[in-house]
Amino acid sequence: MKTKVILSIVVFLFFGLILAGCSAMGKGREEKLQIRIAEQYGLAYAPLQIIKEKKLIEKNLPDIQVTWRQLGNTAAIREAMLADELDVGFMAIPPFLIGWDKGMEWKIACGLSSSPVALVVNKESIKSIQDFTQEDRIALPQPGSVQHILLSLACEKIWGDPTRLDNLLVTLDHPDGMNALLARREVSAHFTTPPYLFKELENPGMRQILDGKEALGEEFTFIVGVTTAKLYQDQPEVYDAFLRALEEAVDFMENNPTETIKILAAAYQIEQEEVLKYLEHPDMAYSLEVKGVMKFADFMQKNDYIKRKPANIEEVIWDENDK
Amino acid sequence: MKMTNKTSSYQKIKTRLFWVIVILVLWEIVAQSGIFPAAIFPSLLVIARALENSIVSGEILLQTAFSLALILQGFLISLLAAILVSSLAAGNKMFNGLVDTLAAIAHPLPGIALLPLIIVWFGTGTTSILVIIVHSVIWPMILNIMTGFKAISPIYKEAGLNFGLNRFQIIKDILIPASLPYVLSGIRIGWARAWRALISAEMIFGAVGLKGGLGWYIFKQRVFMDTPGMFAGIFVIVLIGIIVEDYVFAAFEERTVKKWGMI
Repeated sequence: MKTKVILSIVVFLFFGLILAGCSAMGKGREEKLQIRIAEQYGLAYAPLQIIKEKKLIEKNLPDIQVTWRQLGNTAAIREAMLADELDVGFMAIPPFLIGWDKGMEWKIACGLSSSPVALVVNKESIKSIQDFTQEDRIALPQPGSVQHILLSLACEKIWGDPTRLDNLLVTLDHPDGMNALLARREVSAHFTTPPYLFKELENPGMRQILDGKEALGEEFTFIVGVTTAKLYQDQPEVYDAFLRALEEAVDFMENNPTETIKILAAAYQIEQEEVLKYLEHPDMAYSLEVKGVMKFADFMQKNDYIKRKPANIEEVIWDENDK
Repeated sequence: MKMTNKTSSYQKIKTRLFWVIVILVLWEIVAQSGIFPAAIFPSLLVIARALENSIVSGEILLQTAFSLALILQGFLISLLAAILVSSLAAGNKMFNGLVDTLAAIAHPLPGIALLPLIIVWFGTGTTSILVIIVHSVIWPMILNIMTGFKAISPIYKEAGLNFGLNRFQIIKDILIPASLPYVLSGIRIGWARAWRALISAEMIFGAVGLKGGLGWYIFKQRVFMDTPGMFAGIFVIVLIGIIVEDYVFAAFEERTVKKWGMI
């Protein structure tokens, strides 16, 4: 028994040391000016490639250290921001609202892009979402993603039950989802965005049966920039430099189309003609304006994806009152 | 003999319980200290409530049953295939070389690395998950069983031949019992690997079948940022792991290799 007591004391001490080490590390790294930004894959993040290539944040704030991370899904970005490893994350509105609902101290800083987002099917027999059978599978990035919420919206409209197709879901990231759709096995539908969306539709027999705008009933910002309260309140000069860089990137894309296409073709490793075609799509737009938050929040709260919704837009977008 | 066995297993449960309590107390201290936000490190009470909710709604039970059924299937397929392949390899040098080469190629390959291929070949249904489980389990099992066969002194086999046993009887009555400690550790490794493969595959594939399994449950809690729910799912996995280790494997050991005085 005596040895056990000693052993348990040792274990306690050991964990105590680890914890002490963790908190000490947290303190040491705040000295230098820095911003850590996470993005995901796809053309919707195009202005960020311009910021990277043209070093726009460094131009606005010369001493800053900018770290870019590319993460595969929104949950990972959210967790990294929660763990104080990231200051800015780019994601769709629904995952942002889920984090906000759970008490994360973050708000939207800006919009980034609107983008086509659509459900593509590979079967002649499926003309609308009503034609799915129990054998069909719908691939999308993850539950709670904007694609999932848009599908739920469409289901609610038709059946009054947003979860109607939930048991057909398969979680696959965009590239795997595209492969699965083109393989024509179990997966008969894929809810996706460009460039995957355009590539899929180029294949014979692939058809689009639902698009995001139609599902939500209005235009919405596809990707928004979200920052932590810490960045907004404690480092306003960094926040401003970041926002200005984003504005400049969007302007740059407008004014220097040739160079933009060159940069994007290199960043995404696709042909320049393809990039041009994608950027000219009528639904593809880059702007800092934020649209559609309240509509998503209404739907998500009504159907229990989140427990509370913002009373007004200021609750979820940074403004002067938060300083 | 029986008496000592009983006291030793009682002792084992006592130490196990002691350490479980120590870990739980530590957990609660860290959670209460507020070093980490509750969204990262929830207290035990909150986790217990999340677990209770999913048990009451029946969700987690259904998903556990689904996962267990899949795992047992994959595990049995692998076990039978591994015994068959190893036995064949024990009797034939050429085949032994082939199995050895295949194991060298496939054993270090994580199932998840094969995922994009598996999706294209087998789709995203239960078949694919079974393939990943079998792939993860079969190689360590084959390697263990083959090592076990090799460790048997040839005298036993020769004695068996002298008694006029045929090839099948030699495998059944000599090779397998004599290498049982190896087979058993192969089964243990296989079981752990099967769980890992299943949970990761489920977290990637999503709801296969009507409700999906435990991996899907955890993933769903993650994307909706329900950290206590995530821990509830992890707790169920740990619980099953401990039960299988302490009762199923231990009991099997008790009745075979320990009774025969092999370990």
